[in-house]
Amino acid sequence: MENFQQFTEQNVKPIIEFRGVSKTYQTGTHALDDVNIKINNGEFVFVVGSSGAGKSTFMKLIMREEKANTGKITVNGFDLTKMKRKDVPMLRRTMGIVFQDFRLIPTMNVFDNVAFAMRVVGADGRDIRKEVSKALAKVGLGHKARSMPNQLSGGEQQRVGLARALVNSPDLIIADEPTGNVDPNMSYEIVSLLTEINRKGTTILMVTHDHNLVRDFQHRVIMLDSGKIVADNVGGDI
Amino acid sequence: MKLSSIKYLAFEGVRNTWANRLMTLASVGVLVACMTIMGLAVLISENVNLAIGNLEEQNVVIVSMKDYNWALYENDEKDDTASATQSTAESGAENTTQTPAGDKNGIKETDYIIHDEKEAKALCAEIEKLDNVLNAVYVSSEKGLEDAKHLIPDDMKDDFAFLDEENPMSCAAKVTMRDMAKFDETIRQIEKLEGVASITSQSEMANTINALKKGIGVAGFWIIAILVIISLVIVSNTIRITMYSRKLEISIMKAVGATDAFVRIPFVVEGMIIGLISAVISEVLLYFCYRIATETIVKSLGTVVKYGDMAFILFLMFAAIGVFAGVIGSAIMIGKYLKHEGSEFAAI
Ligand SMILES: Nc1ncnc2c1ncn2[C@@H]1O[C@H](COP(=O)(O)OP(=O)(O)OP(=O)(O)O)[C@@H](O)[C@H]1O
Ligand SMILES: [Mg+2]
Repeated sequence: MENFQQFTEQNVKPIIEFRGVSKTYQTGTHALDDVNIKINNGEFVFVVGSSGAGKSTFMKLIMREEKANTGKITVNGFDLTKMKRKDVPMLRRTMGIVFQDFRLIPTMNVFDNVAFAMRVVGADGRDIRKEVSKALAKVGLGHKARSMPNQLSGGEQQRVGLARALVNSPDLIIADEPTGNVDPNMSYEIVSLLTEINRKGTTILMVTHDHNLVRDFQHRVIMLDSGKIVADNVGGDI
Repeated sequence: MKLSSIKYLAFEGVRNTWANRLMTLASVGVLVACMTIMGLAVLISENVNLAIGNLEEQNVVIVSMKDYNWALYENDEKDDTASATQSTAESGAENTTQTPAGDKNGIKETDYIIHDEKEAKALCAEIEKLDNVLNAVYVSSEKGLEDAKHLIPDDMKDDFAFLDEENPMSCAAKVTMRDMAKFDETIRQIEKLEGVASITSQSEMANTINALKKGIGVAGFWIIAILVIISLVIVSNTIRITMYSRKLEISIMKAVGATDAFVRIPFVVEGMIIGLISAVISEVLLYFCYRIATETIVKSLGTVVKYGDMAFILFLMFAAIGVFAGVIGSAIMIGKYLKHEGSEFAAI
């Protein structure tokens, strides 16, 4: 019983925590204003809000692409406010990032695009072959390993992007409008995949403008407006 | 770092170089031009040094000694100056002559210091002991006279006929110095030695040689410094272009957590490849340039420095500059890039 309690406590430990975080860009724009939030290990969170609300800024702070002006951010046990530049790669290795524009390297085939994410963190050849095949199988593209990116549909390209985010077995996946460049059917497919991945324990954080997705997949929704969190609840009741 | 990573990074460097081959070619071209000029500067200065070396050898200093002939001459001088005051001193001096008369010329043994060849050679040996003296060769007064006679133009030989009867030359030491830069200092040291009468030197020549050497040194330094900077700029620029063409890959690398070193190494490898290719081409090109140059000049100049003697050191220089330019140039560029733009991987 005690063991179980310990286990569950660890399980619900926040993987992301913002305490009094504000971000003002050098241009003077207040992108985030006193944000307090906890995202627990294993959650699936949609981040919504109108254009310019601060959603991307919120994501960039988590990836430590931007630094907060005030407040404290912890991600995966890293204190981002105290983190040195040279430690940023170690933080990034604990997360997978999915881009709106896919970011596949056009001169590499699907396999190599996914393998690239492992090579550049120094993985060795045998692991790379094994893990890449696994990741491609997860996104249902095992048969397209030798295709070039321009031979794939937008949805397929984004699934390659997803495989690349998955291949290093991250605890957290961060996706800023991953369905922004694909048609509605493909959007559903991609969010279904992410939901699948989430069921196996990976925390997912996804920015979207698509109300249908938010309504149909009943996940936690954080709503930003003018740099403040104005709503935080489950499902489509916003 | 793992072997597989090293292989991967080296391969990426080669791939960068090849993918960017037009730029690579352009920068190799400029680098080869720079290196060839540098090489020529080195070869020219080596040749000038060789020529100066020959001059230095010819530039010997004649140290004449205080021997009998010198005393004779000195006495003449004294007589001349003394005659003016003689009238007043005469009356007293005439009777109280205490000094011995000396020989037929009025020279006493104590009037001079070098009495025979043995003592002269001893002085030579003493001169030779000085740090900057390469050698000091004894020249007898007879030999000195012979040498001097050669310098008399034929049509004036008659005027100097008296030399056959009477040898006015002192014995001397022919001194060769190691380093002309210490010329004045060495002369001063020799002057202090007992038995040295006077020194005939061509200090102007020594000064000219020193100035020339210095000039060549300074010019060579600046030529090389400027060309190294040009090489650096060229390589960094090429690397910058590759870097921008690899923007997407860099952004992905940063996103998945590649370290700065991992992002940087392929570019450094690319810089090194450019530097090394340039070094090899320059070496070969310079060989042909130098051969053509020396074949036309060699007859007028006499000896020249052999390319073979310089080939290795030149290649080392080229390779060092190439690798230096490659490593530093790419490190500067990628460092700048990673600091300012590389982190904004989401924004490209
Ligand atoms: N690098 C930057 N420098 C200056 N201001 C910025 C920068 N990035 C974002 N901003 C500003 O900060 C505010 C929040 O931007 P952010 O990109 O977080 O919005 P968003 O919610 O992602 O919008 P969208 O839905 O259009 O992507 C905006 O006013 C934006 O103009
Ligand atoms: Mg945005």
